[in-house]
Amino acid sequence: MKKYLLSFALAFMSLTAFAQADYEKIMSEKIAKIETCKTVEDFQTLANDFQRIGSKESGKWLPSYYAAFSYIQKGRVMMREGKTQDLDEVANQADKHLATAQNLAGADNAEIHLLKKMAYSLRMMVNPQQRYMTDGMKAAEELQIAEKLDPTNPRIALIKAEDIYFTPEQYGGSKTKGIEMFKKAADQYNSYKPKSSMDPNWGKGEAEYFISQPAK
Amino acid sequence: MKTQKQKLLFLFAFLSFLLSVAQVKITGKVTYRNKGVGEINVTLKGTYDGATTDAGGKFSFETTEKGNQTLTFTHPKYNDIEKSIVIDNQDISVDAELKEQINEIDAVVISAGSIEASDKKRATALLTPIDVYTTAGADGQISSALTYLPGVQKVGESEGLFIRGGTGTESKIFMDGSLINNYFSSSVPGIAGRDRFNTSLFKGNVFSSGGYSALYGQALSGALMLESVDLPDQSSYDFGISPIFLSGGFQKLSEDKNHSYGATLGYSLLSLMQKVLNFNTDFINAPEGLNGDANFRIKTKSGGFFKYYGMYDTNKMGVRAASLEPGSDYALVRINGKNTYHNLSFKQKFGKYLLNTGASYSYNRSDLNFSGETNDIESAKTQLLTTGNYINFKAVLERKINKISAVRGGFELNNTDEKLNFEDVKKHYQDFISSVFAETDLGFSNQLSAKIGVRAENSSFLNKSNIAPRLALAYRLAQNWTTSFAYGLFYQNPESKYINGPASLDFQKSQHYILQLQRTSEGRSLRLEAFYKKYDQLIKVKNIANIDSQNQPVQTAINNDGYGYAKGLELFWRDKKTFENIDYWISYSFLDSKRDFMNYPVSLKPNFASEHTLSVVGKRFIPEWKLGVNLSYTYSKGRPYYDIASKDVNGNVVNFTRNEGRLKDYNALNLSFNYLPNLGKKDSKVFTVFVLSVSNVLGTKNVYGYNFSQDGSRSSAVVPPVNTFVFVGAFISFGVDKTQDAINNNL
Repeated sequence: MKKYLLSFALAFMSLTAFAQADYEKIMSEKIAKIETCKTVEDFQTLANDFQRIGSKESGKWLPSYYAAFSYIQKGRVMMREGKTQDLDEVANQADKHLATAQNLAGADNAEIHLLKKMAYSLRMMVNPQQRYMTDGMKAAEELQIAEKLDPTNPRIALIKAEDIYFTPEQYGGSKTKGIEMFKKAADQYNSYKPKSSMDPNWGKGEAEYFISQPAK
Repeated sequence: MKTQKQKLLFLFAFLSFLLSVAQVKITGKVTYRNKGVGEINVTLKGTYDGATTDAGGKFSFETTEKGNQTLTFTHPKYNDIEKSIVIDNQDISVDAELKEQINEIDAVVISAGSIEASDKKRATALLTPIDVYTTAGADGQISSALTYLPGVQKVGESEGLFIRGGTGTESKIFMDGSLINNYFSSSVPGIAGRDRFNTSLFKGNVFSSGGYSALYGQALSGALMLESVDLPDQSSYDFGISPIFLSGGFQKLSEDKNHSYGATLGYSLLSLMQKVLNFNTDFINAPEGLNGDANFRIKTKSGGFFKYYGMYDTNKMGVRAASLEPGSDYALVRINGKNTYHNLSFKQKFGKYLLNTGASYSYNRSDLNFSGETNDIESAKTQLLTTGNYINFKAVLERKINKISAVRGGFELNNTDEKLNFEDVKKHYQDFISSVFAETDLGFSNQLSAKIGVRAENSSFLNKSNIAPRLALAYRLAQNWTTSFAYGLFYQNPESKYINGPASLDFQKSQHYILQLQRTSEGRSLRLEAFYKKYDQLIKVKNIANIDSQNQPVQTAINNDGYGYAKGLELFWRDKKTFENIDYWISYSFLDSKRDFMNYPVSLKPNFASEHTLSVVGKRFIPEWKLGVNLSYTYSKGRPYYDIASKDVNGNVVNFTRNEGRLKDYNALNLSFNYLPNLGKKDSKVFTVFVLSVSNVLGTKNVYGYNFSQDGSRSSAVVPPVNTFVFVGAFISFGVDKTQDAINNNL
């Protein structure tokens, strides 16, 4: 009888473990995809995948976080392709998921604040001249909060480096300065340990890519 | 025992085999109006399984789930769909037909007759403060910048928006819903008054050149609805300096970002520029002005929002012109104007209802002094003193019906109390106009929407009422093409300036028909508009007195027998996309108009209506140099001019045209530069803009009209005060230094 109970308990444990593993498995699988996505459609598909996971795992913040991140990446691809007029819509979607993520993870999550910064930056790009004072300021604010919460986070360093890298020299930016900052970010990546295998850990490749670029 | 173990093993193997083959493939196609739709999120509810449709609407995924399941199809632009399916061992195919979700972003916008400039409506966004400041030749004034849009006539000698064959007084300007009386500064005949309101006070606007909403009234031609800024983004101090003015101001935002207050003070004097530039106008007193304003904004705990704006200004000038009358060498006119305007608005949401109220009070005093000068001796002055008190109150309650439909209704009260003193004449004019209105926005689909409204007004002075229906429709023809139509009846009281004697008068009336075709795509917009406007019951006037040595007779309205029409075609093209860092627009207006009103003896082409108006505005920003280069050009075909006199025919006073002709065509090329040295500097606390603008670079000698002597034998041209004007100025703003806060917070 004892034996049966034990095996039953074991079976039950393995079952929950199996479910847990399933979540981790699918998340790891999708997170790994972030690096391989290239097009607007790729990122939309990924965003949908995370959304799907999020609707099943409604108590976990990471699926929403990654759904938002996928939307932001989608927006950044659109920006590079010059489709700035539709960025509001993309930022809206990202914000929706970020709100869910923040509800679950709390307001002191630096990773979420960083994504909020990125969403505001996307909005600003719709009409930079006009939105510099509003969305641009809000983006700077979010970045400040993120930095205060987690000063050693390499992703914050990465985004700051990007901002400098893409700002023309006359506006206080520079490629050389940007690359210096990417190097600093890369250093931070080397010493940064994500909380779990699923926690945000993106951006190292990007830092390395920029470091490999010629300064001029 | 062994065999049992083997059996068990076999069972496990079999089970896992079963599991592995139990993957069922679910495929299908998602369509909207028989076309495949991409990016649809297809999910087997409550599982991780699902897929995203490809560009052709197709999807495919595998699942191990069994039994009764639900498949969901979601996309922000369409209504969610759920489909029950039973998963067996066979692959399944499930197709879904989407229903469009009606939403604000995709809904077709009614734009016949109107151009909305807010950040949200970017495609056609025009005349945001930055647009105004970077339009060469606009002098940073909203009303001037509007003349570069289709439908607005270039009339240099008089203030006001001359829209589609309408006079300057047939358009009204509103701030946060409340009427602004005396939007323009008081001026002397022949020189246009200036905007009293600072352009950067407004964050957006809706400019309607016809067929406007039932919420507004008392304008036969068009309306400009200005929307004032909300809470500032941060506290700041601003200074402006130029040879013609000095100004300073501040905006203070509270720590909790729930309220703000601010004030500005400015002084302007033209005399320095007079010494440098060659003026046409002989100013005995150079235009001089002092203005101050104050504002506060409060967000209440319950979500309400109060906005107050108040201003006070004075302006003075004196002009000497060669007299056309015998017995004096010069005609002198001096003006001394004082004005104050206060506007308080409040809005709050109550569940599905949105309440918008606004009250404004304004006081205006214009003291005109006329005199003659002979052999350096000035004659006694004749004073024309007008004072006015105006109160406006408006309340609008709106209820949303669904995402894009709404009903709104409310009332507006307008009290006018004016006094005029001119020699022995003491006039006291009072009018109380009460209006009620209702309007509904009906969004039938993202393709079709309508706006139906009605407005009723009662004027205590006229002792009459009117009912004005308004209607507008918009239909999307294709992705980027929309068409809209607007119709409306509009009423306006006769201008109090012409009420100087007893007469039985009525509302003046106009009818608008507007048809528009618009194409909007990323960074480009094209508009074609055709309109027909019919005027009835316009006032007719007669001369009752002449002011000594002046050529502007005092007139009084005698009846509403006037009538007229205006019809035309307009084209507008704006393109921000084709050339990098270049934003340009072209507008062309064709106008055919005739009216018999005021003192016109017969139906004539009005002297403020030009048949062809073309303007081109170009703005190029050179990021490397932090420099903006702006260019604008306006051409307008010469307007007609008339010298209308009256004579006695068998005891009846009959008007006749003594002289008439056509002005030469108007041309002006304007250029301006903005240099922003601190642009993009990280952590910069100072933002500076240097402005250099030259209006009418080519020095074209434009003529706005002719004045005739009382006997018609002599005439003089009405010309701009200066042919070419040069403006230099610096605008400096300081964001409040946050270093102190940063230090305090980190200690």
